[in-house]
Amino acid sequence: MLILHHLTPLHWALAGALVGVITLLLLWLTNQRLGISTGFENVCSLVVNTPYLRRDEITKSHGFRLPFLGGLVLGGVISALAGGGWAPIWDLGRFDATFNVGHAGKLLWMFAGGVLIGAGTRMAGGCTSGHGIFGLSNLEGASLVSTLSFLGAGIVVANLVYRVVA
Amino acid sequence: MVLLYLLLGTAFGFVLSRSGAADYDYVQGMFLFQKFQLYGIIGTAVAVTAPGLWLLKRWGRTAFGEPLAVKPKPRHPGNVLGGVLFGAGWAITGMCPGPILVNIGEGKLYALGALAGVLCGTTLFGVLYERLQRPLGLPALRLGTGDG
Repeated sequence: MLILHHLTPLHWALAGALVGVITLLLLWLTNQRLGISTGFENVCSLVVNTPYLRRDEITKSHGFRLPFLGGLVLGGVISALAGGGWAPIWDLGRFDATFNVGHAGKLLWMFAGGVLIGAGTRMAGGCTSGHGIFGLSNLEGASLVSTLSFLGAGIVVANLVYRVVA
Repeated sequence: MVLLYLLLGTAFGFVLSRSGAADYDYVQGMFLFQKFQLYGIIGTAVAVTAPGLWLLKRWGRTAFGEPLAVKPKPRHPGNVLGGVLFGAGWAITGMCPGPILVNIGEGKLYALGALAGVLCGTTLFGVLYERLQRPLGLPALRLGTGDG
């Protein structure tokens, strides 16, 4: 069951196939390789003027990355509306069952993790989409190394949180 | 074109929302080897994308006749260190970059904390790039670490 309205999730084979089809359509129709985390550089470059965030690859890709990121938010809104209605959610499933930290504590915990995601994905040059799906599908060495690194670290940290600390 | 990007992003976001990829418990279930769901999704996505990509590259053109441009990402030491930092953040938040945005759309307010963190982390990396580049062995500034 999903945290969102306790919906039954799509079968993994269907969800995976849809992700693959969307990835291929993005390339076939628009000549863009799937990748989400670079879009955060586009967002930051709108307000932060530093050479790395204002390099050509970023300033010339606003027209693709900003609407694509906006679409991800919209997809979440539509999913909630169609699945039982949109409402603010603070439920965090297993986290709530294990830790009792309140709303401010959750925001801080998420913020700390977010800093690691922002710095880490940009240092690695991609995330689950750009390395894990597109890069692996394109048999890229950098993507294999990155994917093994982030999956491995995720396994270690989740086990520390739920099997050592908790 | 902008509408097409918005549409494909929306479709992607909807699938992430309804598949468990943007769900805290499914992400932890993946890392703790208690749920197969997300391994199945990533595996199937690669199994569908890889042959499709191979065919598209052989064909060499987009639907509108443009030459297909697939630029592989550079390999550098940041792949490992950045990957480890990202993986830790993924386990802490239960979200990777796409699902942060999807969760905000779904109404999960704590995801706003994750987004604020990601934008700070991205800015920090961008501002420090010239200082990190040599010690970490990262590519030249104009090339970047890899786009995607």
